[in-house]
Amino acid sequence: MYIFEILNSALQNIKANKLRSFLTMLGIIIGISSVITIASIGGAIKEYVTGEFAGMGTNVINLQVDTTESIGKRDYFTLEDAELIKEKVPEVTAVVPMAEGFGTVELQDKTKMASVAALNQHYVEIYDMDLAAGRFINEHDVETKKYVAVIDELTADKFFSNSDAAIGQRFKVNINGNYSDMTVIGVMKSQGILASFGENVPAQVYIPITIYDQVLGNENISHVSVLVSDMTKADEISSKIIRIIENKHNNTDKYTASQGFAALDMVNNVLDMLTAALSAIAAISLVVGGIGVMNIMLVSVTERTREIGIRKAVGAKTNDIRIQFLSESVILCLIGGGIGIIFGFLICKIIGYTMDVSVPVSIATVAIAFIFSSAVGIFFGLYPASKAAKMDPIEALRHE
Amino acid sequence: MIIKIENLVKVYTTGSISLTALKGVNLEVKEGEFVAIMGSSGSGKSTLMNIIGCLDRATSGKYLLEGKDINEFDDDGLADIRNRKIGFVFQSYNLLPKMDAVRNVELPLFYGKVSAEDRIARSKEALKRVGLEDRMYHKPPEMSGGQKQRVAIARALVNNPSLILADEPTGNLDTASGDEIMGIFQKLNDEGVTIVMVTHEPEIAACTKRNIIFRDGNIISDVAVKDRVIIGG
Repeated sequence: MYIFEILNSALQNIKANKLRSFLTMLGIIIGISSVITIASIGGAIKEYVTGEFAGMGTNVINLQVDTTESIGKRDYFTLEDAELIKEKVPEVTAVVPMAEGFGTVELQDKTKMASVAALNQHYVEIYDMDLAAGRFINEHDVETKKYVAVIDELTADKFFSNSDAAIGQRFKVNINGNYSDMTVIGVMKSQGILASFGENVPAQVYIPITIYDQVLGNENISHVSVLVSDMTKADEISSKIIRIIENKHNNTDKYTASQGFAALDMVNNVLDMLTAALSAIAAISLVVGGIGVMNIMLVSVTERTREIGIRKAVGAKTNDIRIQFLSESVILCLIGGGIGIIFGFLICKIIGYTMDVSVPVSIATVAIAFIFSSAVGIFFGLYPASKAAKMDPIEALRHE
Repeated sequence: MIIKIENLVKVYTTGSISLTALKGVNLEVKEGEFVAIMGSSGSGKSTLMNIIGCLDRATSGKYLLEGKDINEFDDDGLADIRNRKIGFVFQSYNLLPKMDAVRNVELPLFYGKVSAEDRIARSKEALKRVGLEDRMYHKPPEMSGGQKQRVAIARALVNNPSLILADEPTGNLDTASGDEIMGIFQKLNDEGVTIVMVTHEPEIAACTKRNIIFRDGNIISDVAVKDRVIIGG
């Protein structure tokens, strides 16, 4: 009851100085809306990345040749290694050896940069792949070393007008001057953010692993993905596989293993840190806004010295005066915070609309922003309020 | 006995200079009295008023208000006494300009934690007692000096204090308004309210019942008023 009236009288005072109150709030509005915008964009990016990673199996161990070591030709994986892993490790359900090369794809006078990956039919068990037309590489293609390829939708559109028309058509792959004739058997949909880059994204071409040495020239199998049934034993399985390969190649410390979800965790950690760092920078503007509040409250206390004297003369206690001024700064910050939340929300909607992504503002972000703005109000209002509360009533009454 | 002051001393110290404003004042004021304190500026009368009003503390000596030793209260305790026991009327009215008469008058009740409903009723009642029932929702800038001072008196009355302290209440008013204010004080005193007033105008002092004259921090004269002027009488 009493506090309600104190708040009401604080509100009256804020209303009495509309322009000044608004300018003071502006700092808080900008601070809160930038914190909300940045935190929400960070959340949206994280969600997006998590979504992208979700397309990749998490029951995966990725083996790589550690290129930081001095590596010889004999250290790279072979197709026999892949067979050996499958044979010797019962937990492994599929093995995908991979070699990658970079060059161009060509059709008559059309040319496009291309990333060419040689792999096998199990690839689709690890990574999501939506096909727009045709089929993916199958076991038969791999075993019979067929010169077939799955290409991306954008390239299919550019070379053959559309995905369906591309199936069965031939084109050339050029890796460092080594030309190969390929037949299109499938077209995969272009996904996510890559699609929006359009022309500038290199063509993505998948070919059977068994023809990698003919098509990719000097490239090697630098990467083996292993699908396992039980991820809880991932560490154990990783070291077991590495031991098998080391024995075969008669070397040590040339290979590294990483787990599918570990990479996701890492990316998430980086994103969290980035979001936190950017939010902290945005929060600095909130602190500047808070200083603005303190400044205007000090002016208000000086202006209202006589009022403070009158209130004390008729019986206001130290705390009554303190609460009165404190509630003014808190209300100022809460109104500013409320407007800031609305603005932040609108900015997120506008960004989401123009970039065609969803930028959801979480309840937690709003709650934190709200708590933060009242904290700013209390922190920066406390000194002016205490100054008012400690005034000597006689001095205050004499103030002109 | 409402006020009992014994050997009250007040020393103001600024740096190395100290000034003795009250030099051992003794004073008693009984219930129902109407006292005028006179004296030139710097005589110590305002200092005494501040101490009686619990706005300031004495350096030494004793001040009992309704038998309670004021020295024993802390700042918030003094605020509470000002709230419940004392009503102030100032020369410059000291009203809050953005609040209407009712809200100005209810201010002491607000700090006395009286409910909103009671506050408004009592505030209106007090405004009626000073004859301002038709100005209740006017703000101070819309009123004349006399009306503002009547609002201030209503504010002083609203808590039914033991004592009203008035510091030059007619100082900013013309003679007619001044007389009006003195008439109200006389009426309130007739109803039993104890009033202590500082003034330097002898005609105003002549409306009270007892005149005390201050000089150099001491009382030099304390007499009952003969041939008291009754306003409207």
